[in-house]
Amino acid sequence: MRAQTSRSVWDGVYTSEQSQRGATLYAKECASCHGSALTGGESAPPLTGGEFFSNWNGLTVGDLFERIRISMPGDRPGKLTREQDADILAYMLSVSQFPAGKTELERQTEVLKQIRFESDKPSEKPSEKP
Amino acid sequence: MHGRNGFLFAIIFVTAAAQGQQPSTKNGEWPYYTADLKGTKYSPLDQINALNFSKLEVAWRFKTDNYGTRPEYKLEGTPVMVKGVLYTTAGTRRSVVALDAKTGEVIWAYSLREGNRAAIAPRQLSGRGVSYWTDGKGDDRVVFVTTGYRLVTLNAHTGQPVSGFGKSGIVDLKEGMVRGTGQQIDLETGEAGLHATPLVVKDVVIVGSSFKEGMTVVTHNNTKGLVRAYDVRTGKLLWTFNTIPRPGEFGNETWENGSWATNGNTGVWTQMTVDEELGLVYLPVESPTSDFYGGHRPGDNLFAESLVCVDLKTGKRKWHFQIVHHPIWDYDLSSAPILADINVDGQMIKAVALPSKQAFLYVFDRVTGKPVWPIEERAVPQSDVPGEKTSPTQPFPTKPPAYARNYLKVPDDLIDFTPEMRAQGRDNMARYKNGPMFLPPVIGDGKGFIGAMGLGTASGGTNWPGAGYDPETHIVYAQANQSALFPVSLRTPPQGFSDIQYVMGRNDTDFRVSEGPGFGSAADAPQQQRRAAAPAPAAPAPVAPPAAPVGGLTVQGLSIVKPPYAVISAINLDRGDLQWQVPYGETPDAVRNHPALKGMSIPNTGQPGSVGLVVTKTLVVLGDSQITTTPSHPRGAMLRAYDKATGKEVGSVLMPAPQSGSPMTYMVDGKQYIVVAVSGGAYSGEYIAYSLPTQ
Repeated sequence: MRAQTSRSVWDGVYTSEQSQRGATLYAKECASCHGSALTGGESAPPLTGGEFFSNWNGLTVGDLFERIRISMPGDRPGKLTREQDADILAYMLSVSQFPAGKTELERQTEVLKQIRFESDKPSEKPSEKP
Repeated sequence: MHGRNGFLFAIIFVTAAAQGQQPSTKNGEWPYYTADLKGTKYSPLDQINALNFSKLEVAWRFKTDNYGTRPEYKLEGTPVMVKGVLYTTAGTRRSVVALDAKTGEVIWAYSLREGNRAAIAPRQLSGRGVSYWTDGKGDDRVVFVTTGYRLVTLNAHTGQPVSGFGKSGIVDLKEGMVRGTGQQIDLETGEAGLHATPLVVKDVVIVGSSFKEGMTVVTHNNTKGLVRAYDVRTGKLLWTFNTIPRPGEFGNETWENGSWATNGNTGVWTQMTVDEELGLVYLPVESPTSDFYGGHRPGDNLFAESLVCVDLKTGKRKWHFQIVHHPIWDYDLSSAPILADINVDGQMIKAVALPSKQAFLYVFDRVTGKPVWPIEERAVPQSDVPGEKTSPTQPFPTKPPAYARNYLKVPDDLIDFTPEMRAQGRDNMARYKNGPMFLPPVIGDGKGFIGAMGLGTASGGTNWPGAGYDPETHIVYAQANQSALFPVSLRTPPQGFSDIQYVMGRNDTDFRVSEGPGFGSAADAPQQQRRAAAPAPAAPAPVAPPAAPVGGLTVQGLSIVKPPYAVISAINLDRGDLQWQVPYGETPDAVRNHPALKGMSIPNTGQPGSVGLVVTKTLVVLGDSQITTTPSHPRGAMLRAYDKATGKEVGSVLMPAPQSGSPMTYMVDGKQYIVVAVSGGAYSGEYIAYSLPTQ
C-alpha cells in the first residue's frame, strides 16, 4: 500500500492563477453575503479570521470544499461547477495568507480530504518519513 | 345510560377526561415550541442536575440530511414531545417527522412537494418546528406551516393530512394576503412565508406572517403582514388582525399621506403567546417595509414594532404599546412575549415581559397594557437623510435595566486587552458615526462616515431564540449578543432596482443585494446540472487583493468591541433588577491563542452569538455557537448547564457542532432527555438527545 504524504494548507496547495480566477468568481457569487473582504455580513459568517479558523481547524480542505459544493452560493446551491468551487476556495486560502504553490487545488473531494486545515503555521522541523 | 342524569354524567366525564388529557410539562412532556402557551421554556424536571450534567451521554441522534434534495446546515427546530413521541420539522424540504422519544426511531415522515412556490419563498429550510393539538379523546394532530406558506394539519398517529381541515388537510395561507389597497397577491410568486410554529390554543390555530429581509428590497409596496385565526378542526378563517390599520381602523393615520396603501411587511414572524384563561393573545410585530429608510411611510407606523394584545375569540385589539416609533433600525420584535405572574411591591400583577434586540425587557400588565415600571419617552438623535422624518422621542424602560450592552461607548467599550489594541480601536472608530441608541442611518459615501454605528440592530440582544422564565422564582433568563456591531449606511439603489429612494449600502462601493439566511436553498430550488469544465475565458483583468478594511471592525483579528461578547442574564421580575449576569459560552480560540495576548490571564470573554435556552427545576441549559478546542475539551461546542440561582456553570457536555436550535427537555419511562439541534461549518443538521447513563 502506497503511503500518502500528509499535506496541510501550508504546503502550497493552490496556484496564484487559480486564486485570481477565484477572486473574480468570489466577487460575483459570494461577496454579496460574505463581504468583499471576506469579513462576513448580517446572515453570512466571515471566511477568514479567528472565528472561521476555529470552526475549520482540525478538519480538512475537503470538508470545506464539500460545504461549499453542497450548500453555496446560499441563494443557489449547486450553481457552480467543482472547478469553480475549487477556484473560489483557492482564493479564500490566499486571503488567509496560506502560501501558493505549483499545483492547483483539485476538484475531487477525496483528494482534498488529504489536506489538513490548520491556521497555525507549523514550526520548522524535519517531517517524519512515512 | 339513559335519561337526563345519564346524559349529564356523560358530559362531565367527557369534559374531565378532555382536561385531564391535555399534554403538559407537568407530565414531563413538552407540548409547545416554548414548552407552554406562556412562552416560559420551563420544565420542572430535575433528574438531570448540577451533580450529573457532565455525565450526560448521547442517547440517540437524528440527521436531517435526506429530508430534502440536499443537506441543511442551519437546523433551527425545537421539537415538541407528547405521549412518548417527538414531533419536529427536518431538512430542506421542511418535512415533518415523528420520532420515538426514547430511541429516535422514525415513526412516520410527511412532506409536501410545492415546486417553485417553495423555491422562491422568503423563509426557507426546516424552520422552527411544529405545534400539537388534541381534543383529549384521541383526535391528536400536528399543525405546521410549509415553506410555501400553507397551513397543514396531520393526524399525529399516521402523519396523514386530516381530510376535514381546509382542502384535504391544507389551508392556503396566501389566500387573503394583499398588497397596496387590497390586491390579492399571486399564490405562486407572492412574497409570504413563515418559520415560527403556529399558536394552537383551545380549538384555534393562530398564524403570523413573514417576508424577506428588508435591507435592499425592490419596492416599498410589499405584501401586507397580518395575523389570522383558524378553526383547528375545519380550517375555517375565524378572524384577521391587520397589523397595518386600514382607513377607519385605529392607527391608520400613523401612516401619513395615505402611506398605509403603499407599504407592507409589518408581520408577526416570531412566536406568539396566549393567556388561555383571560382569552388574550400577544402579538410581537416586526418592522415595516424597508428596514433602514422610512421616507415612504412618514408617521409612527402603528402597529410596526409594537406589542399588541388581541382578544382570542374576535381578534379585536385590547391594547398595544409601540416599542419603536417610525422604525428604521431593524429592531423588529423577535421572540415570544413571556407571560409572568409576579409580585411587585406587594402587588400581584399578571404581567407580560418582552425580550428584545435592544436588550431591554419591556414589562407590562398583560390585562391593561400599563407598564409595570415607567417607560419614558426620551429625546433621540434626528436623521438628516433626505425625506426621512424620525420620531423626536423613543420609549426607554426605567426598569429593569438593559440586560446587555445596547450601544457602543467609545472608548470605554472598545477592545482593551493591550493599550496598543485600544489605540488602534479608537483610530478605526474615527470613520464611523457613533452615539447613543437610535442613532439614525447616514448616507454612505467615500468621504464622510462609513456608517452610523449600531449595537443590537439586526443581530444584537435577544433574537428569534427568545428567553426563558421560571414561574417559581419569577426570573427571566435571557441570552443576549452584545458585540454585533452593525454600521448602517444608505445609498441610492442602482437605476431600476427599487422604488425606494435609499436602500442599505454605500454609494462608493458596489451595490450588494442582502438576502435572508438560507434564501434560495429550499429543496425545489433549481438544481444546476453539473457541467464539465467550461472553456477558459479571455484573460481577466488583474484583480486587486481586497483593500485593507478602512476603519475595520476588527483589531489584529479580534472584535473591536471588548468582552464579554455575549452574556446570560437573570432578571428578577418582582424587583425589576438583574440577579446575575455571566459571559455566554467560553473564550474563542482566536482570543485564547492570540500571539499578542500570550501569557496574559484573560477571564472568560464569552463568545458572540444568539441562542435559546431551556429552564428546569435547577438549571439553565444552553449551548455554544462556535467550535473551540481547549485544554479541557477536544474540538467541539459545549452544551452548558448553569445553576439558575447563581449563574455558576455546573456542568458541560461536548456537541460535535454549534447549537443552532433551542434545547428542550422531557421525560419518558422515568428517564429525562435533553434534545438540541446542532449544525454549522462542516456539520449538517442533526437533533441530538442526551440522557444520563443507565445505572
